[in-house]
Amino acid sequence: MMILMEHLVVCLRLTIALSLALTLAFGLCLTTRAQRAAGPTKPVVTFEEVLPSQSGITWVHNNAHSPERHLPETVGAGCAFLDYDNDGWMDIYLVNSGPADFFKPATQIRNALYHNNHDGTFTDVTDKAGVAGGTFGMGVAAADYDGDGWIDLYVTCYGRNILYHNNGNGTFSDLTDRTGTGAPGWSTCAVWFDYDNDGKLDLFVSSFVYYDKTLNVLCSDELKRSYYCIPRHYKPRPSHLFHNNGDGTFADVSKQSGIADSPGKSFGAVATDVNNDGRMDLFVANDTMPNFLFINQGGGKFEESALAAGIGYSASGKPRSGMGVDAADYDGDGWQDLFVANIEQEFFSLYHNQKDLTFIDEPGEIGPATQFLSGWGLRFFDYDNDGNSDLFLVNGHPDDFIEMRNARVKYREQLQLFRNTGKGFENVSPQSGVVFNKYFSGRGMATGDFDNDGDLDVLIANNGEAPALLRNEGGNRNNWIGLQLIGKQSNPAAVGAVISWQAGTLKRSRLKTSGGSYLASHDPREILGIGSAAKIDYVEVRWPSGKIDRLTNPPINRYSKVVEGAGLNMPR
Amino acid sequence: MVKTVNIVEPNSTASARRLERLWWRPDTFPLGRLAIVVVLLIILACGSVTFAQVDKLVPRLEHAAGLIAEKHIDEAEKELAAILRATPNEPTALNLLGAVRAQQGKLNEAELLFSRAIRSDSRFVGPHLNLAHLYTLTGRPKKTILELQEAQRLDPGNVEAVDLLARLLLAQGQIDEGINVIEQAKQSQTLSAPLLVLLGDAYLKKGNAPKAEESYERALGQQSELTDAVLGLAQVSQFKGAADTALVQLSRARKMVANSPDTLYRFALVALGAGLFEEANGTLLAAIKLKPDDPAYFLALGTTWIKKPDLAEAEHAFRRALELQPESPRAQMYLGYTLLEQKKYPEAREYLEKSLLTDKSVPETYYYLGQVAQEENEDERAVQLFKKAIELAPSYSFAHAGLGASYLRLKNYPLAQQELELSVKLNPNDSKAHYNLAVLFARLRNQQRAQEELQIVDKLKTRNGGPAKEGDVSSSPEPRPPK
Repeated sequence: MMILMEHLVVCLRLTIALSLALTLAFGLCLTTRAQRAAGPTKPVVTFEEVLPSQSGITWVHNNAHSPERHLPETVGAGCAFLDYDNDGWMDIYLVNSGPADFFKPATQIRNALYHNNHDGTFTDVTDKAGVAGGTFGMGVAAADYDGDGWIDLYVTCYGRNILYHNNGNGTFSDLTDRTGTGAPGWSTCAVWFDYDNDGKLDLFVSSFVYYDKTLNVLCSDELKRSYYCIPRHYKPRPSHLFHNNGDGTFADVSKQSGIADSPGKSFGAVATDVNNDGRMDLFVANDTMPNFLFINQGGGKFEESALAAGIGYSASGKPRSGMGVDAADYDGDGWQDLFVANIEQEFFSLYHNQKDLTFIDEPGEIGPATQFLSGWGLRFFDYDNDGNSDLFLVNGHPDDFIEMRNARVKYREQLQLFRNTGKGFENVSPQSGVVFNKYFSGRGMATGDFDNDGDLDVLIANNGEAPALLRNEGGNRNNWIGLQLIGKQSNPAAVGAVISWQAGTLKRSRLKTSGGSYLASHDPREILGIGSAAKIDYVEVRWPSGKIDRLTNPPINRYSKVVEGAGLNMPR
Repeated sequence: MVKTVNIVEPNSTASARRLERLWWRPDTFPLGRLAIVVVLLIILACGSVTFAQVDKLVPRLEHAAGLIAEKHIDEAEKELAAILRATPNEPTALNLLGAVRAQQGKLNEAELLFSRAIRSDSRFVGPHLNLAHLYTLTGRPKKTILELQEAQRLDPGNVEAVDLLARLLLAQGQIDEGINVIEQAKQSQTLSAPLLVLLGDAYLKKGNAPKAEESYERALGQQSELTDAVLGLAQVSQFKGAADTALVQLSRARKMVANSPDTLYRFALVALGAGLFEEANGTLLAAIKLKPDDPAYFLALGTTWIKKPDLAEAEHAFRRALELQPESPRAQMYLGYTLLEQKKYPEAREYLEKSLLTDKSVPETYYYLGQVAQEENEDERAVQLFKKAIELAPSYSFAHAGLGASYLRLKNYPLAQQELELSVKLNPNDSKAHYNLAVLFARLRNQQRAQEELQIVDKLKTRNGGPAKEGDVSSSPEPRPPK
């Protein structure tokens, strides 16, 4: 099997030289600081905030905050890392609110697409690209749904969703009506995945409650101060599943698939394969309702099985306020585990897969650390390239009055980073950068290597505030290999592919999931950490089609493109 | 030879009464920081003295007692030493000198002097009471009881002896004995209102609501504004399940000014029983301001924080209770529970295991340890702990539910079903057990039963008014509040 490795990014030399100069110049100071922070044994990986003045990202989210406290105001918004122009660098998309039945903005409010200038700065290309939105935006999911090689954008909204088709020339076209994916109402998260393994990306869209301004419930305290109501006051809605017909249109299969049989108040969603049957399932968080685990039965049918799986409710049988979700095999036993973040005092859950469609909540250190937090964006990813999936949490309380009612809970909350030690998760937030001392009204969170240095950076969408771009500093001290998977017989995004790799004694595998986090879309490339190993023995990709590609001695510390099938590779 | 008690003239009686009111005071006590309890000196003049001697002796003893009362300890000591040089076995002087020694912190010498006084006059009640106080001070309850019993035998009408003895017996859990003491005293004296309240409390502990009610009513007959009696009546109403009446009585008690921390504490317990957690919480905080070092107050405060709910504050209160009483198995258990609820499992286990070292009789402790084991994926261990809880309390529904949940995790579905069904039979309102049954039936693909169980969970949630907020605080049943 001949696989061509294309070295996509080699800007490392300059970066390394610069780092070296800085280290020589400030060597003593850095050593002392490092020793204080983490002791002499292990270098610390940190996340450093890239300020708007450095990045050029000056866009700010407008949450349409009103005295009436309309619920959509407090749950947005989302963000994405995507390479819309195929230049090998991650661009950024940010979702804003906009006109709605309860909100008439005085000035234009728009989403933003920022082009990556390859030097750590970005340029706003929204107008040229034609992706400003126009309704009350929520989240975003990016993928090449039509397999033309260009990443498209699906923007979820309160009102009507938008499917932006990438024209391949830096512009997009709104093909929502033509594709039939508008899904009116209130949509939150969207996930591109191939549920029927026909090689085309289908679309799941989470629906939140039935809502319009006439249904708004005014919740107020004894001093008649309004606050955002608990969604318990609103009726649940069924989510949507759109089947990709392969001709540029989609069919709404929500009913026949069984998805619509379970109305919910759905937020985060992730496509994963919890029973290793090769069919992608869906884990969906619900607010004040039991979560959903839609098991893909094949034949286009899903069965909701969260109760039997033990992940619908809290351990005491209470539905919680599920928001962000993700899936990963965090303990390397070959089975996908799940994570859901809830509201303060409900604790977050780390569901360990028992390999028989049941799960046990084993949060370990994450449990007490999240007691007073409300979690939205979150992601399992290997921030230090040691081969283990770590966990990054973005938090923030939905009620801006919460501090008046509960002194222990903050409206803006801190980020959290849990390192996977191989035996459990360890809270490493305090030593992972000053940004972990800051407070955010965090919502969406996407991961992506925007500086192409081989470690995953983080983008956070804050409610009513500027986004935060965090650069991973030091994750690439360990070795890695970056893969861009291009499905041919399988879906273009290779969602559902299983990547296995070995480097000396380190042996890992990873399922390419889709969605996860909250209202967000991630860098589609996979960075495989190999720790200090100097070479990687092999990488094997088992595609959803069943085909297997095996790469022996692939080059490390660079990105490579892997195209499904022997001899199929596409130099860029 | 006659007993002085028989010959003391009327004007001396007043002096004797004044002497009866002599107390050790912490501020005059050299070890005041360590000791609080005071000793009552009761001078029942007696001894083998002649009338003439009595004529001289009584004024000198009165003088010495007066000096003690005025805190002129050194002078009192000189006077008593002089008396004892002349009459070395004079019991009153020995008793008074014992009081002086006690005030000087010389407890062993005090004990010897009180004992000598008794040997000089075996019918002398005062030194028995003083010894009782001394034994209380040095933590010897059995000896205290013996002395008080002897004092009561010698003087059945001695109100102080009865009161102290009854309180001590009740505190020691000897309820029947405590009741007997007060009932016997009833034959020879009119019981004071506080003693009647005490009797009511004892009957309530025995579950005899009518007798308790009668005692509280009689107390109120004597003293219509006695808050403790009204609170006692509220407790009787709660015992009888008459929540509305209890609330009326609680409201009556609320209007009475209570400056006593103990009464405030009692009010809080009744309010806690009536579900008025905010009020109980506020009252306890007020009681703690007045008396900041009573571990029982912090235990009760912790339970109100659990109810509010604020587990972090509850943890703080229980930790304070443990600071004040480090080996309290109850405080350890409460703290263990609070830590369990906050998912701080290793520390929860530590405190629950400590609690078990001292008290192996509390089923809840085993139950919570079972919960910890379950959360830490030690299901086999959890099974053993739940079984132990059931052994101690066979109808402890939560332990059966916990056991069922462990079997569910172990995929032993028949045993899980057996235990969970038994649990909901014992306690149909346990929504967690119903939820686990729903999970079980869903796994057995019996969707109808699963849905039925979920509907029960929902109904129970609705009946309880649903959670006040979104937080899902309690996953285990909380420990019983202090009573």
